[in-house]
Amino acid sequence: MNAAAGVVPIGWLELALATGFILATGALSLRLGLRLEKDLAIAAARTYAQLLALGFVLRWVFDVNAWWLVVGLLALMVAAAARVILKRAPDAPKGLFGTSAFAVALTGFTVTFAVTGLVVRVQPWYDARYVIPIGGMVLGNSMTGIALAIERTFADLDARAEEMLALTALGATRWEAAAPSVRAALRAGLIPTIAAMSAAGIVFIPGMMTGQILAGADPLEATKYQIVVMLMVSAATAIGAVTAVMLSYGRRFTADGVYLEKGFREDAR
Amino acid sequence: MLFDARGITVTLPGDAGPCRVLDGVDLGLAVREIVDVVGPSGSGKTTLLRALARLLPGATGTLTLAGEPAESVEPHVWRTRVTLLPQRAAIVGGTVRDNLLLPWRLMVRAPGDTPADSVLRPALDNVGLDVDLDRDASRLSVGQAARVALLRVLLARPRVLLLDEPDASLDPASAEQVRGMTRAFAEDGGGVVRVRHQPSDDLASRRFRLEGGRLAEVGA
Repeated sequence: MNAAAGVVPIGWLELALATGFILATGALSLRLGLRLEKDLAIAAARTYAQLLALGFVLRWVFDVNAWWLVVGLLALMVAAAARVILKRAPDAPKGLFGTSAFAVALTGFTVTFAVTGLVVRVQPWYDARYVIPIGGMVLGNSMTGIALAIERTFADLDARAEEMLALTALGATRWEAAAPSVRAALRAGLIPTIAAMSAAGIVFIPGMMTGQILAGADPLEATKYQIVVMLMVSAATAIGAVTAVMLSYGRRFTADGVYLEKGFREDAR
Repeated sequence: MLFDARGITVTLPGDAGPCRVLDGVDLGLAVREIVDVVGPSGSGKTTLLRALARLLPGATGTLTLAGEPAESVEPHVWRTRVTLLPQRAAIVGGTVRDNLLLPWRLMVRAPGDTPADSVLRPALDNVGLDVDLDRDASRLSVGQAARVALLRVLLARPRVLLLDEPDASLDPASAEQVRGMTRAFAEDGGGVVRVRHQPSDDLASRRFRLEGGRLAEVGA
């Protein structure tokens, strides 16, 4: 197969061969007593099952290529991302699913369609081959940023409970009491994205660009796509994290602006 | 009557179900009066101070300041008039000046009223704090931090001061300075409720004991 004509196909035998690396890692885990053999086996099996399923689903979605299917799939991805955010933030108050889903959906839909419609200019607007992969990248990255920011916000609020009591006693509003935690959390949520943008092309070749080059694309064209993706991912992470944190931090305060310390919470989890 | 609290009742979630920590507590305070509240650990003394400052979720009862009922005052405005100083001094990052001016960084106060260094410096000297205004506040000793936190509240000029064990864990000299600051505040027309564990001093005109959710006067 000529690589310039497209991706070099991988046979089922070659795919199975890749498992050898995991077997080697498992052997290492046994030898060093890491007790990770079972986790490795399950994770490897999930990688096979989930990604192969995704391949079949995407093949079908690309064939059908209907707007309702593309939007429906994005909505499913949003719901899954919101669930992951809740799991990663155990200190967060209950009932954050709606807020998380809203923040992910806002960034996911806005940034994805802004890129596919205004930058890549796909026709039709819902072309699954572009919208689904780009949406996936946007949602995945904004999910990570939102989860980090939410987790950090509520952990920091608890750590600053005494300081916030003193501030509130001096007349601070809930925003004035919470602002240092919110700022620290948003910085924490955005730093990985900024670091990734700074290191791109020097420390690593980003995943999407790698994929396009392997698929036979011109490196310069792949670079242009990658720049767009990195910028949109930063925007999605920032908008998502700010939206989710600003909509949720107040849930730990009473209507009178008092922070609900652990002993006063009905939804302690 | 400067300050009046009637029927303060607080029920908090406990390990064995809801627990009534305060059961209809009444407490009045005249102008220039200092009262002490004592009681065993866990009897609800800190809870009472937080309820008076409207810093406690779910507290019920009526509060009045200079004849004005609490309901007619926004909670964050009420707290600038009836101000709690928590037991552990909360020192924020920055200098001693940053800490003293913290109340004026809040929207509830007009920035134009921010005290100048010419006010802060003598205020520090008056309470025996020989520290530079530009000093990193994280380097203050426990006694110095306690006095900075108290001075910060006093500079903001509340009507009623709620002090949660103000001289606990302080060296005798620092504790004496804190007592002096408290006395001066009351003589200037304020009212003070102190929660204490220490033996009675000559500041309080009345002394109450909190036990079983009830407050009973035990004499000065």
